[in-house]
Amino acid sequence: MASLTLLLLTPLLGALLIALLPGDNRVLLRRVAIMASGLTLVPAWVLLWHFDSSLATMQFAVTVPWNPRLGTNFALGIDGISFPMVLLATLLSFIAVLASASITERSRGYYALLLLLEAAMLGVFMAQDWLLFYVFWELTLIPLFFLINGWGGKGGQGASLNFVLYTMGGSVFMLLSLLLVFDVVGLHSFAAADLLRGGQALSAETQLLIFLGFLLGFGVKMPIFPLHGWLPLAHVEAPSPVSLLLSGALLKMGAYGLIRVSAMLPQAAQMMQGVLLVLALTAILYGGLLAWRQSDLKRMIAYSSVSHMGVVLLGIATLSTIGLTGAVLHMVAHGLVAAALFLLVGLLYERTGSRDINDYSSLVRITPRFALFTSLAFIGAVGMPGTAGFVAELHVLIGGFERWGWWVVVISLGVLISAAYAVRTVGHLFTGPVRPSMQGVADLQRGELFAASALTAGFLGIGFVPAPLLQLMGASVAQLGALFLGMGESIR
Amino acid sequence: MGAEWIAPVVVLAVVLPLLAALAIGVGYLLGGNHGEAGERGTSRLALSASGLSLLGLLGLDLQALLAGATPGQVVLGEWLVVGDYRLLLSFTLDPLGLAMGTLVALIAFLTLRFSVNYLHREAGFQRFFLVMLLFNTAMLLIVCAGSAWLMFVGWELAGVSSYLLIAYSFERPAAALNATRAFVTNRVGDAGFLLALFLAFYWFGSAEWPALLGGASGLESLAAGLLAGGFLVAALAKSAQLPFAPWIARALEGPTPSSAIFYGSLMVHAGVYLLIRLEPLFMQVPALSALLVLLGVLSALYGLLGAQVQSDIKSALMFATTAQVGLMFIACGLGWYELASWHLLAHASWRALQFLGAPSILQQVSQPPRPLPEWLRRRRGIYHAARERFWLENLSDGLLVRPTLQLAEEVERFDTRVVNRLIGRMESADTVSSLNEWERRQHGGGGTGGIGTGHGVAGHGMEWLASRLAWLEENLILRLGGEGLQGMIGRVGRQAQLLEQLLERPRYLWLMVMATFVVII
Repeated sequence: MASLTLLLLTPLLGALLIALLPGDNRVLLRRVAIMASGLTLVPAWVLLWHFDSSLATMQFAVTVPWNPRLGTNFALGIDGISFPMVLLATLLSFIAVLASASITERSRGYYALLLLLEAAMLGVFMAQDWLLFYVFWELTLIPLFFLINGWGGKGGQGASLNFVLYTMGGSVFMLLSLLLVFDVVGLHSFAAADLLRGGQALSAETQLLIFLGFLLGFGVKMPIFPLHGWLPLAHVEAPSPVSLLLSGALLKMGAYGLIRVSAMLPQAAQMMQGVLLVLALTAILYGGLLAWRQSDLKRMIAYSSVSHMGVVLLGIATLSTIGLTGAVLHMVAHGLVAAALFLLVGLLYERTGSRDINDYSSLVRITPRFALFTSLAFIGAVGMPGTAGFVAELHVLIGGFERWGWWVVVISLGVLISAAYAVRTVGHLFTGPVRPSMQGVADLQRGELFAASALTAGFLGIGFVPAPLLQLMGASVAQLGALFLGMGESIR
Repeated sequence: MGAEWIAPVVVLAVVLPLLAALAIGVGYLLGGNHGEAGERGTSRLALSASGLSLLGLLGLDLQALLAGATPGQVVLGEWLVVGDYRLLLSFTLDPLGLAMGTLVALIAFLTLRFSVNYLHREAGFQRFFLVMLLFNTAMLLIVCAGSAWLMFVGWELAGVSSYLLIAYSFERPAAALNATRAFVTNRVGDAGFLLALFLAFYWFGSAEWPALLGGASGLESLAAGLLAGGFLVAALAKSAQLPFAPWIARALEGPTPSSAIFYGSLMVHAGVYLLIRLEPLFMQVPALSALLVLLGVLSALYGLLGAQVQSDIKSALMFATTAQVGLMFIACGLGWYELASWHLLAHASWRALQFLGAPSILQQVSQPPRPLPEWLRRRRGIYHAARERFWLENLSDGLLVRPTLQLAEEVERFDTRVVNRLIGRMESADTVSSLNEWERRQHGGGGTGGIGTGHGVAGHGMEWLASRLAWLEENLILRLGGEGLQGMIGRVGRQAQLLEQLLERPRYLWLMVMATFVVII
């Protein structure tokens, strides 16, 4: 079926069209971008009807030989783990384009890069060939570099350089590992299925070596605790729609890659379980405490992302069906919540020119819609019952508890800290006196209202009715969990 | 025959008043039925809901008469299943349940009709009807429920609506105080009910009346006594018998129709109804039956003496009610449950009429109140005791209220001295309340606005840890990782550039070429 190729090509064609459009009509460029990213939603969400959630295998697979001498294919496919990511990426890209109304300079380049970024992201999630995966992985860097550099804040240049250096540094190790596993497996193929089978058969030491390389590569992106140096800078300096994509979808690429690699190198993953646990718990507390200290709203959300991705890492580290379910769920949940937060903060920043919490007060009287959606988003960030984060954290908590017992109390501490900064922020934003300088702030407009309510409906909907999403990912995650379960028994 | 429509009809009969109450509430929130203009719609809604409910029950009665048998236990389905515990949604439509249900629906309907005129142009017209309808549903739940838990739902709803109506004129402190007092006294009874409910679930896994009574027949007398005792406490509190009797006199603060329906005729009999419903259980425990007789006698005496010394008609009626209900308790204690139920039905109807008529009697009868009987006038001690309601309230104040207050004070002291210091007081938290304060904060240096500062021991610990981590982040990760990485690349680049420049010089190039030749040779 060609629909995955279509899904990949739609934003690319949109980018191309924008690049080639004559004249410098900003409105037209924006309309084309909205249409292209809106059209991309169609092939992605139509797949929901055709997707068979009882199968754990790759579906809608496309395989075209690319370079037979290297053993590479242009191979796409999705399963229950990548499909939610694809849906998330298309939705967030659309919302990012919608939220870009304030970009007025060089909008041709901006929208073209944004759509290119979307295509690369979708490629990462759909690639079924590791070299293709690597190509798309690197391809995301190019538009991001230019977007942060060209349309970012004052420190945009430093931040973008920093970001690219970090990610490239990680990618080098990833590429080394990739070549190593290609070599050791010896099937002369980069196809994901071949490397999966070959990788699982490798000896534990070899697996560990390869796994470490991947961990560095994905750890930078995710980010895992000491490798997150690029994140606060990049998130703060990037224009808000890009921060939205960065935090909402791009961070998930790291976690997604880690899940895939864990399936390929299960013994190594099991050996590293303890290390991953410590890293995850550290990230949860570290990110939470730093977020608590920030008075810059964007910086605060950026650090809270570190904390949330720690929860995802913990879910992966459990290597059990329930923990992995929690990890994938939390990727979706955090994707929606972080996107909503960046969207709202970005819109506020456009209107007031300030991201400092102390400059805000009593918005509820001037901008009730902002107040409503921001409060809901922060409630979602804390993982209150009724939001997607709760379902996800509960799964991770149960999975972690089964594996490590009371260690997971740390997650509850993390939740407590996140409640501390979320409630504090809501309090700062919405209580207190009406400031004279804030009286002219306009409330959410129609398009913005739509974007905010789509995201909010997403995380509330999953929170109240998690069953469809759980079913969507169920078979694939169960297969992955069974892999580790069987292995644990054979070791015993 | 006709078994299919019984369940929907009984559900409708119970739920309709509740729905009407909701409709009135929503209407009031939306502003549709305020003031005098809204009275007509409100009263029509209430009357038709209550009337339909009455019609439904009459229909059930008719069906039972024609069929020659009552439907008995009607099970609608499961409400909640937790492990072995099953909570069914069921109604008991035996002769007792049906008769009581019809009586409740009838009196509620008549009282509502009476209230339409009585409360005309009262400020809380809508509120009054809303709560009365809630009470209507509550009473129907009590008498028709098929299980102890569903009855408890009605029991609580009745308590709440009673509270709301006693405090009808909440702007008067006396009304609010009396409402609280009545409600709290009722809660003591609720505790007994909950205990019995818990025991029933624990022992039988179900609170259905048949299951409960069937299971109880196999219990030892002590266990059965405990179960029955819980229900007895609930019945005593709801029916205002000793030692809980005094609350009902305070309940007269509410408007007359509500006094009539609550304390004259319906709610006060809920306890008796509970006893009759549990007849086999009480018959099993002779000691409790004896206690019933004793408390009934005491309550009857209390009511009798109390009624003699009251100077207003409503209070006198109230004490007389207590005395009559005491007689019903005696009848139950002696095993004459049949008699008690007849007494209940008759007394409820009669007392409703008396209470509703009381205001008119006051207007039309100009006689001075009846003088004290001769024998009471001679015994000043008894007179004084009856005036003071036998100091029951002072007793409960001294035994229960004051120690509880003292304990609460101790706990509060602990809270301020120990817990608050650990946690940090929230009133000094970091939000600003006025523009003035905000400006002071902006200009007065402390520009952090309380971001990243904690209160109490835990907060300070968190603050300390967060500042250490921030240092780490700043120095190691951002500077070393970010700027360091760039710096390192810059240095390597400069070195490479230097190497490149050196290599470009001819002499070094020659040297390289020579070296290559040497290697080849």
